Amino acid sequence: MDASAARPFEGGTAQQMKRLLVLAFVSAIVATSCGSLGVLGGPSIKVGLVTDVGGLNDKSFNALANQGRLDAQSQLSVTTSVTESKKQEDYVPNLTTYAQQSYDLVIGVGFLMTNSVWKVAKQFPNVKFAIIDGAPANDKGDTENLPNVANLFFKEQEAGYLVGVIAGLMAKNKVGKATHNTVCSMGGIPIPPVDRYIAGYQDAVKTVNPSATILNGYSNDFVDQAKGKEVGLNHISKNCDILFQVAGGSGLGYIAAAKEKGVYAIGVDADQKDAAPGTVITSALKRVNKAVFDTVKAVKDGKFTAGDNFFSAANDGVGYGTLDPVVPSDIKSAADQALADIKSGKIKPKDTVQVKG
Amino acid sequence: MTATAAPSPTGPATAPSVRQPTSQWAQGPAIPVISVLAALVLGAVFVAISGKNPIEAYAALLLGAFGSPYDISETLVIAVPLTLAGLSVAVAFRTGLFNIGAQGQLLVGALAAGWTGSQFPDLPGVVLLPLTLLSGVLGGAAYGGVAGWLKATRGVNEVITTIMQNYFIVFVMHWLLQDGPMSAPNALGTPASSPIGAGAMLPIIIPNEIVPLSRLHAGILLAVLAVVVFWFLLWRTSLGYELRAVGLGARAAAQAGIDPPRRMVLVMAIAGGFAGLAGMIQVSGLFHRVYDGFSTGFGFDAIAVALLGKNSPVGITLAALLFAAFQRGGTIMQSNASISSHLVDIVEAIVLFVIAAETIVRAIASRRGTPAEAL
Repeated sequence: MDASAARPFEGGTAQQMKRLLVLAFVSAIVATSCGSLGVLGGPSIKVGLVTDVGGLNDKSFNALANQGRLDAQSQLSVTTSVTESKKQEDYVPNLTTYAQQSYDLVIGVGFLMTNSVWKVAKQFPNVKFAIIDGAPANDKGDTENLPNVANLFFKEQEAGYLVGVIAGLMAKNKVGKATHNTVCSMGGIPIPPVDRYIAGYQDAVKTVNPSATILNGYSNDFVDQAKGKEVGLNHISKNCDILFQVAGGSGLGYIAAAKEKGVYAIGVDADQKDAAPGTVITSALKRVNKAVFDTVKAVKDGKFTAGDNFFSAANDGVGYGTLDPVVPSDIKSAADQALADIKSGKIKPKDTVQVKG
Repeated sequence: MTATAAPSPTGPATAPSVRQPTSQWAQGPAIPVISVLAALVLGAVFVAISGKNPIEAYAALLLGAFGSPYDISETLVIAVPLTLAGLSVAVAFRTGLFNIGAQGQLLVGALAAGWTGSQFPDLPGVVLLPLTLLSGVLGGAAYGGVAGWLKATRGVNEVITTIMQNYFIVFVMHWLLQDGPMSAPNALGTPASSPIGAGAMLPIIIPNEIVPLSRLHAGILLAVLAVVVFWFLLWRTSLGYELRAVGLGARAAAQAGIDPPRRMVLVMAIAGGFAGLAGMIQVSGLFHRVYDGFSTGFGFDAIAVALLGKNSPVGITLAALLFAAFQRGGTIMQSNASISSHLVDIVEAIVLFVIAAETIVRAIASRRGTPAEAL
């Protein structure tokens, strides 16, 4: 079985090498199975993370989820591992493999996996699952909650609101290069998590700076930087001097446009200050790492909750990232005040986009 | 590779014998086997450099691909589209054309099959499944045929056109599924088509009692059938003889009364048909709807599959199985042995490199006048 792929190629030296390889494989299998016996003794739980096709180096979603996994591994002494999905075809088998190996918790990253998690979770009622940014969806595409699946959602509008306060006040006070009182944003595809960010952002700008001009656009893509840049240059030509991107990789092009034209940008999901230092004034943070960590901890403590779990300002699930030195301290105080007000429930950022175009 | 295989009018006029499949097969396997072994050894060096144990890595790879009935069935699920796309590349190769467009043809096949399957969801399976299959094959064939037609009538290099076609269909697919005519109102948060009817689905062929959760569907039978068709077409029909004759020397073939341009259109359509079938199978067998951005990369891995398999039916099947085992085993290796699944990409790249090097060596040898075997 082990060398079946090579079997029909029978040849002198090849055959000998094959025998050697088989021998090596067999001894290795024996060696690894002995090694894993030691791990089985511990009381700790096992957690498997399955990335979407973005992979571990996306500097965003998957990378943050993996960070949460590593934090959980070191701080909660649980056993974890990660599988990168290369194709959409891989989601179901990757989730299934963890479930078959009796993992206690299997986490799927991203809304692309809603149907795959539904499929697999139904087959393994004793394994707990979690989806970042999604709820299990049946084959018809309808949400169908399962008793063993936690849906990890974020209140993106709160993160959007915080950076909106910063952008709105920067424009109002004409800080640095923000001279046109025009703030803009660009989404990838108009799906709910993207639009919630933009809704909160616009809500804040309208609140702190009602006279500001607000523009919004979509790159219709989450990967292609060129498309993001095109929207960015278009926005800048219409006097935008603060550009908030909600478009993953495509948004990096939006930031690049801001850098090229010497205006400001705001990052998303992860702290993107390194994408263009001096251009990125802050980032709207979605702490996927915290969601992963908290879910692992909940499973370990026997407090796992199926169904919708929200990560918001109240539980530090969202926030704003590193501020560039150009942002004055009074604007930072305003953002911190907004954060406190959101936590206390005094401010409830809107979650529907008002300025679409 | 392209330079030596392209059937330009100035190509090799002295064509080797067309009747040589068996002898070629007999002397073929040595190089692929050596290239795979060399790649595994070099891959092991990379693993060792990154501070891990290569034997542990390969053991995890092997167990991931074949360690349990479920793993084997998953490996076969990947091997199906790889084999079909490999046939697509190989049939063009045999005629001296370089089909880089298997990926695009696969997506067209998937879209066509998905459209038919979701448009008439209430038709009974005996009608809908053949219709869906036909849509996939014809969709891919039409798309491939365009590249062949441009080559035959305008002399446009098929490498360029098929690459452009790959990009083109990605964007068309994006539009169709996101807000175009095929987009489903309720699509799981990602651009996708409506689900296909139950009659358009390929059944799972392994009962749940034998291999729980197996996704292995009847598409594997279609793939096996396609391999037989490929062999029969090329080596048991006069058309196949003509195609191979064009591949070995277009000028010589023309002298013998074969019309190379017409054969080019036909063979690119056949190539597209194989790839289109792969796309149809992914829709009917696995997803039951068309997702934007699915099946990435099969058409490109297929080039490696065809090269490693020496464009022969048995070789392609084995190479597809090997690459499928790499892909399936690679993900398990990452989760169970904490070794990046990109090791598999490295190994695949080295396999290709060694095979390409062989081609270069032969080309140099033939230039020096040493008798070189036909590629």
